[in-house]
Amino acid sequence: MSDWLQAHPLTVVGLVLWGAGLLWLMPGRDDSPARSKTLGILNAAIGLVLWCVSLGGSRSELGDEIMFWVFGVGALLSGVLMISARNPVYAALWFALATLSTCGLFLLQSAPFLAAATVIVYAGAVIVTFLFVIMLAQQSGAASYDRRAVQPVTMTLLAFVLLGAIAYTIQSQPVVAIDNSGVATGIVSGNPLSQVDEKHPVGNLQGLGRSLFGDYLFAVELAGTLLLVACIGAIAIAPRREQGAL
Amino acid sequence: MIGDAERFLLVGAGLFILGAIGFLTRRNLILMVLSAELMLHGVSLTLVTFGRLHQTQEGQAFTIFTLTVAACEAGLALSLVLALYRRTHSLDVWLWSDLGESDVPRPEIDSRHIPVATGYENIPKLTPAGIAPKEPPRSSPPVATNASRT
Repeated sequence: MSDWLQAHPLTVVGLVLWGAGLLWLMPGRDDSPARSKTLGILNAAIGLVLWCVSLGGSRSELGDEIMFWVFGVGALLSGVLMISARNPVYAALWFALATLSTCGLFLLQSAPFLAAATVIVYAGAVIVTFLFVIMLAQQSGAASYDRRAVQPVTMTLLAFVLLGAIAYTIQSQPVVAIDNSGVATGIVSGNPLSQVDEKHPVGNLQGLGRSLFGDYLFAVELAGTLLLVACIGAIAIAPRREQGAL
Repeated sequence: MIGDAERFLLVGAGLFILGAIGFLTRRNLILMVLSAELMLHGVSLTLVTFGRLHQTQEGQAFTIFTLTVAACEAGLALSLVLALYRRTHSLDVWLWSDLGESDVPRPEIDSRHIPVATGYENIPKLTPAGIAPKEPPRSSPPVATNASRT
């Protein structure tokens, strides 16, 4: 493990800076204006940039690089700002930005249908529902439970140790892939549904449809049933008007 | 193209970790649900990356299922949040951390009277097959007697 630490100094520095910026931004005991938010965002952003720089990988062409930087750092920074927001409306809007950045990352990985579906479902439906619920369940002013975070130091430390462990696991072993000819480097799976299809490569929508409705048709039907059950459950659980005003 | 899969995996891991931090540190119910959704974003990114790595469609297909389950979960979680808010008028999750507090009244069991369906005491019985009775139909079903048969 020590050689990984020496080989990737930027990873650890980036993680430490990122964690420090996140802790700076968390709602704390002394919410005085002396704790400037800009400093926290700057700290987190620098940490994120350093961390992404240390990720390595082959340098693809310039457009892909810029797109990855914009969407990757944007997603993580929006996540940081979302979990440290004091106002739940701001948190929902930062979550919308994180969703859009994740869609961009989907587009970079040749999943255009997934990007469109995520935008429609998440940014279109789920976030709007969140905003409606926030509107219905809001307090008159800033609530007391939004002012302080629950053990932020412990949680951030533990979570970043976990992230460092994941980074160590991924970076210490090469990520092995199946090349285009389908001859696997030892990772051929015994699953008959999970074979490489030359006629429908990964970005092909027809291939996705064939896989979804051909191999996993039962799961699709189950997902439809789950949606129906969730719809009925949401109608049954939500309080009605004659039970008293919200 | 394949070599930079590490970066996407680590971005996905970062999103997951941020969602975990947000879920564990905040007391607001809505923020907790939002953080769980952020964790699902991270997992979706990892799924799509691995799907592209192994060049199968399963990564994207399973991400569609994840999207479906996330939508169901968001709907149910938000209606639960509304039901909890109605009882305490607060979005604090610590109010629900103890079961059976002394100052909060116990929730009453929903004992609404479910009305028994009436009007089924006079279930019409089948008249025996034969000649139709001469008298007009009454409110009570005709009793099958020998007099109605001619």
